[in-house]
Amino acid sequence: MERIVTVVPEDGLHARPASKFVETANEFDADVQLGRADSDGLAPAASMLAVTGLGVAAGEDVRLVAEGDDAEATLDALEAILSTPEAKQ
Amino acid sequence: MAERTLSGIGVTPLSGVGTVIWYRPDADLPEPPEPEDIDAEAELARFEDAREAAEDELETERARTADRVGKEEAAVFDAHIQFLNDPQITDGVADAIEGGLPAEHAVQETFSSFVEQFENMGGRMGERADDLRDIRDRLVRVLSDAERTDLSSLPTGSVVVAERLTPSDTAQLDPERVAGFVTVTGGRTSHAAIFARSLALPAIVGVGEELNAVEDDTEVVVDGETGDLVVQPDDEQKEAAAADTDVEIRHDPVETADGVDIEVAANIGTRADLGPAVDRGADGVGLFRTEFLFLDRESPPDEDEQFDAYVEAAESFDAGRVVVRTLDIGGDKPVPYLDLPDEENPFLGERGIRRSLGPDADLFETQIRALLRAAGSADGARLSVMLPLVSTVEELRRAREQFESVADDLTEEGIVHEMPEFGIMVETPATAFMADQFAPHVDFFSIGTNDLAQYVMAAERGNERVSDLGDYRQPAVLRAIDATVSAADDTDCWVGMCGEMAGDPDLTELLVGLGLDELSMSAVTVPQVKAAVTETDTEDAEALAARVLRAETKAEVIETLTENQ
Repeated sequence: MERIVTVVPEDGLHARPASKFVETANEFDADVQLGRADSDGLAPAASMLAVTGLGVAAGEDVRLVAEGDDAEATLDALEAILSTPEAKQ
Repeated sequence: MAERTLSGIGVTPLSGVGTVIWYRPDADLPEPPEPEDIDAEAELARFEDAREAAEDELETERARTADRVGKEEAAVFDAHIQFLNDPQITDGVADAIEGGLPAEHAVQETFSSFVEQFENMGGRMGERADDLRDIRDRLVRVLSDAERTDLSSLPTGSVVVAERLTPSDTAQLDPERVAGFVTVTGGRTSHAAIFARSLALPAIVGVGEELNAVEDDTEVVVDGETGDLVVQPDDEQKEAAAADTDVEIRHDPVETADGVDIEVAANIGTRADLGPAVDRGADGVGLFRTEFLFLDRESPPDEDEQFDAYVEAAESFDAGRVVVRTLDIGGDKPVPYLDLPDEENPFLGERGIRRSLGPDADLFETQIRALLRAAGSADGARLSVMLPLVSTVEELRRAREQFESVADDLTEEGIVHEMPEFGIMVETPATAFMADQFAPHVDFFSIGTNDLAQYVMAAERGNERVSDLGDYRQPAVLRAIDATVSAADDTDCWVGMCGEMAGDPDLTELLVGLGLDELSMSAVTVPQVKAAVTETDTEDAEALAARVLRAETKAEVIETLTENQ
């Protein structure tokens, strides 16, 4: 099961958004990978190094691929994080 | 070394005098033993213990930071915990141990390759490299049982000097003992800078390599305003800095030199901000951002929880007022239990009062109930309420009707309550233009300069590329402020200002001259602004304001202000 999502948080997949993303990916049983929508490469969503290492910026499209019983719920939760802007002071 | 001055980026309007203590957290490891002498299983177990100990430390530091600085800043420790537990790291360390390295060397080697990888990617990745270094050093320290330089118990009067300070380092600094800190790297928005402001510490970042020449035990003056680090200062320089640091904390309200009362209040977001606001002598709270009660949770706070928070804020002050801003939430702030729309321009979308009168009507009603009850029950400061992002008189009328209808309900239910003072934020050009129409309907205006500058100049806050435009010293912004104050002149409506501009002591005279009655700011600059008020003569201030309002450009505004100093 896969899905393409546009990254909204201003900082892209860095710091807080990345941390929340990885934390959430680890809460589910499904095995999730992510990569840029325009490339075939995929990295494990449960790894902070892999996720921040992609250097995805705001406005970029990413591809999420999930396998497992709760794949759909996992993708919903991850999509919510990627499409929610960060809180401002 | 003779007296000289190094310059960096000043990040707080505070000065300190003290003695340099270099903080060099990187531990040098001894040569590793021969691979055949390594008991891989034992080393793996040591690593696992160290990883757990490091995670415990990070949890503790996260809690301390959330308490002292804020939830948002504390979140950096979540990222550290995830790096620490990353399978690529744990596998990497295990492989290195299997390859014949003791645990601490395995950690060094594994992290260093990732640090290098992130550094080579450039840009934002440098920050991730810093995160990884921080975690690596923590693990190595735990593994080698190294004594941790305890930044929380340094001798009084220390100026901490370091290549960089990580969030965990900075969170340990005790403002009662430390006279300031200075770093080789870092920028105005780095974690260290943000912490410095929250902890009210004099601080300079980004001094550069030159800083390495300043040795331990050297006396320095840290000027967090100009960014100047004076090495081996003379007595005059020390006295000037000490006078600045020792800005008297005045717990009583202040007036200008010719006797005009100016209220100086603090902005607060969380309960943790109340202590510093009281300690620094704020007369009350000029802006209580209630959205922090609503963010980062799964369901909205109920009426009693809000009631308690408002009462606690009012009771923290013996007198004065606490201005509570009703929920200001919109497309730019995520709230899990609200169905916030996706908007192209959240700053121009459904936010603030627009949501309270629309989709969030139920939340608004609960908040009004809590506010009216708190206004009738709190001892100490008076509670006032303020509506965010008002742009039409109809919005104000509708909100006011809601307050009255809720008050009627409470009367019927026999619940103690009181109608608080009622005001609006002036942050849209629409409200500034129409201020004379708004004034008869409210008790006060509070000018929100960050948003007002953004909307007047059509320049987004926080967008570096247009930061010159979004500056509150732009003549157009000053005219919007002047129009607002003038419209309220012959009415009972008082005018305050909350936002960064109010907390700049260099602008206090101008703001008094423009006719502001109240200034509200982050607690750190309250003493400086109070001091500036007492030195101001209103007639001179009005003359200055008139000159500044004639300026054609921001450069002219700045020039006029500088000449006046």
